[in-house]
Amino acid sequence: MQLLRVGYAHPLEDLRDEMDRLWNSLTTAPPLHGWTRQTAKEAFPAVNLFETAETVVLEAELPGIEPDALEITTLGDELTLKGRRDEPDVLSQDTPTEATAAPTWHRRERGIGEFVRRLSLPTLIDPEGVEARLQDGVLTVTCPKAAACRPRKVTVTSR
Amino acid sequence: MIASSPTSSAERIQPAGSSAAQSLNFRPNVDVATCDDSLVFVADIPGSSASASDVQVEDGVLSIDAAVPARSLPGTAVRREYGIGGYQRSFQIGADFDASQIAATYRNGVLTIRVPRLTAEQPHTIPVTAG
Repeated sequence: MQLLRVGYAHPLEDLRDEMDRLWNSLTTAPPLHGWTRQTAKEAFPAVNLFETAETVVLEAELPGIEPDALEITTLGDELTLKGRRDEPDVLSQDTPTEATAAPTWHRRERGIGEFVRRLSLPTLIDPEGVEARLQDGVLTVTCPKAAACRPRKVTVTSR
Repeated sequence: MIASSPTSSAERIQPAGSSAAQSLNFRPNVDVATCDDSLVFVADIPGSSASASDVQVEDGVLSIDAAVPARSLPGTAVRREYGIGGYQRSFQIGADFDASQIAATYRNGVLTIRVPRLTAEQPHTIPVTAG
């Protein structure tokens, strides 16, 4: 006899998680992707991944992240994006820093902090040929496929 | 003419290269702070540029309108988690700010807007003397 219906196994735990989520949103800084665009369970950053016969190209939106605060590593067919977004610089440049008061925040939708995202690529890649470019907050990583994973034309001979 | 569906602007996923992707507008995440008697807006607008970002103040409403040129990756999509389009958002800031002194900078996909407060007359303190 089945006592618990699938999906309703732990209603109180679900409720507790939901309450935690609501409470967190009131007491902590937002997650990196903010609260408005995605739910907390989705990973940051969002990526678009495209594949040609020769390459795998990944694009991610990373506004406000400096190139030296971003680390990209590859292992086999796995690519890891790791980085940090710092507090936005809202102090005015022309006044000396000693004279400026701490900013008063009215709205904080942009998250700050560290992030890690591990992605499985569709094929093995050649780690030596990976190129990454960060321009206007858009990261583009071009990974050439490993020689074994590229399509190879087979010549047919007749006798 | 086909009326666009009310949900079209909220759609995040669009096929690459479609004409609809151009007209998509997203709501950027924004931080707002008061600092040194200025109101500072920090908006995430990846993929735009200083010349394509437009900031206006009219009738006490600050509006951000940033165009993002269409870009597409080569080949076929394996994973598509976001769409590409412009960003628009407006904020009611009232009449206490000097619209002629707005300074906006675009760097690393982040638009920072600084609106100084109008230099208000200092309140007069009237001495009360006992008569």
